Amino acid sequence: MTLEECYEKFGGDYSETLERLVMPELVEKYLRRFLKDPCYKLLVESFREDGSRDREAFQAVHTLKGLCLNLGLTPLTQSSSALTEALRDGRKPGAETQFEQVKKDYAAVSGAICELIGA
Amino acid sequence: MSDRNKPKVLIVDDSELNRALLIDMLGDRYEVLEAQDGEHAIEILWKRGHELALMLLDIVMPGIDGFEVLEVMNRNSWMIKSIPVIVISAETGTRTLNRAFELGVVDYISRPFNFMIVQKRVENALMLYVKQRKLIALVEDEIYENEKRSSLLIMVLSHIVEFRNKESGLHVMNINTVTRVLLKHLLKKTERYGLTDSDVTVISMASSLHDIGKITIPGTILNKPGRLTPEEFEVIKTHSMAGARMLEEIPFGQDDILLKTAYQICRWHHERYDGRGYPDGLVGDDIPIAAQVVGLADVYDALTSDRVYKPAFDHDSAMRMILNNECGVFNPLLLECLRDAEDELQRKLMEDAYSSRMDVDAHMLASEKYAGIDAAVSARTLRLLEYERSKAQFYASISEDILFDYSVNPDLLTISQTGVEKFNLPESIYYPRKNERLLSCISVKDLDMVFEKLKALPREDMRVRCEVELRNGDRKEWYRIIARPILAADGSHEIRGAVGVASNIHREYTKMLDLEKQYRSYKPEKAAPAAESTIAEIDTHPF
Repeated sequence: MTLEECYEKFGGDYSETLERLVMPELVEKYLRRFLKDPCYKLLVESFREDGSRDREAFQAVHTLKGLCLNLGLTPLTQSSSALTEALRDGRKPGAETQFEQVKKDYAAVSGAICELIGA
Repeated sequence: MSDRNKPKVLIVDDSELNRALLIDMLGDRYEVLEAQDGEHAIEILWKRGHELALMLLDIVMPGIDGFEVLEVMNRNSWMIKSIPVIVISAETGTRTLNRAFELGVVDYISRPFNFMIVQKRVENALMLYVKQRKLIALVEDEIYENEKRSSLLIMVLSHIVEFRNKESGLHVMNINTVTRVLLKHLLKKTERYGLTDSDVTVISMASSLHDIGKITIPGTILNKPGRLTPEEFEVIKTHSMAGARMLEEIPFGQDDILLKTAYQICRWHHERYDGRGYPDGLVGDDIPIAAQVVGLADVYDALTSDRVYKPAFDHDSAMRMILNNECGVFNPLLLECLRDAEDELQRKLMEDAYSSRMDVDAHMLASEKYAGIDAAVSARTLRLLEYERSKAQFYASISEDILFDYSVNPDLLTISQTGVEKFNLPESIYYPRKNERLLSCISVKDLDMVFEKLKALPREDMRVRCEVELRNGDRKEWYRIIARPILAADGSHEIRGAVGVASNIHREYTKMLDLEKQYRSYKPEKAAPAAESTIAEIDTHPF
């Protein structure tokens, strides 16, 4: 699997990302690191029904959004952006739906990356 | 490129991935420090802030966020002034941007990161700051050098004039000092004369020229040891107008503030507040304030110095005579200033620090001209130096030992406050080998001996240790001198100066000498060991 194919699989924008990061080695390096980054796990842990850890969840998804932006993980960028706004100043209606979407998109991305690195 | 020369960049972002990505983008042209939250960033700012060339700052972070970091940097303004901050945040809302810029942020790199953009923005911010700093330093240096040179030239000219008087040239320096002190107090007291700090510096500099007219006075009258006849006195009085006329006849620069002030001083420094002065009989504030101040300074110095026609009076008698109008009537405001400044005057006149006084003038002018420019870095450097200096001074002041440092060029010995107080010496002693007051405490032979030993040391980490007898009034006491040389940095190992300590070892040393004597008197048959000398190099002695 090539990097380009990987990106295609989860709907990301490889050419734009390559333009910005310039070196394919960097793209691959950071895709790998993305898998290991703790922000997604933290988001999943802290996003509770009762909203008691919403502050943490906000920061986690905000970080996630930043990473996605940097790596051109388009669908996940969009859903984590939406969730970020939904959690920005207290939980807004629709947050739970967004959260589900984020989980779905993350799964797609991580699946594709795992395939890429042959894990 | 070695790490030491690379600019240091601090990256503050709670995401390790982001930090790593930025580091990769910056490449190895920079040395990178990382902080994962605001608290950590602030810690680094305090500990190594003066090393940082730039900061990349995220806003949204757990705990202390980016805005709080910026607040801290603004509270300690040197941080925000000398470290350009580029915000790297996914937050792009106008509110965030505005607030960041208000807090002094220099630029904003939005996400997603772009290799070229990151590199270029960082480079640009750095170049801008570096160039700014260099320019400021260059300009300050230029101005300083110029002012210093003019100061020096003025000094030289006035010394030439003084030379005929057979006075030590201290007169000119003293007038300079007294004028400056009086003016500083006057500045604080009243707005009436519209004086600024700049004026103070100019008037003090110009005061050096007040007696240039004396060059037209015949030496026989100038140096007559007795009372002057009325005719002779009339001749002397012409020196005011003579000086003014000389300045007037300079073909250019008549607009120059220094020349104008010097003219005023020359012509009217012998006027008196009640109109009974000369040459024009001006009254009260018709006399330019510069001339009034120098006039008073002149009288004070004349009273407290030796002259061919009279010995020096002590400070208190001089004050009494002046305040009783025995030497002419002066502006009451000025007399108040004189009273206020009594202690400061006496202290400052004790110092022989010639060049440091001139340096103060020049430096003040230079830095005043740049009060407007953001010279945060130079100010910070000065602050750091000042801090180190006050630390050193403090340690010296609580020590019972006398700390000293010596430089070959200029030939200057500087001693710590302890030495000043214990031996009643000035802090700065020029040409120590010829300084009478110093030589009343230590013999030329001992001075030379210590210096010869220092010259013989090939490295700065080697020491000279010797015992000398120092005279304090009518007491003679033994001191141990430990010193190390300061060598030229150009590899020639030429001695440039020395640094050392003189500790009072009188009690132990005399005890040891007694013991030696006793020991020797116990065994008269054995050959006497090396004869006592007043100087001994005792490297292995337990003391």
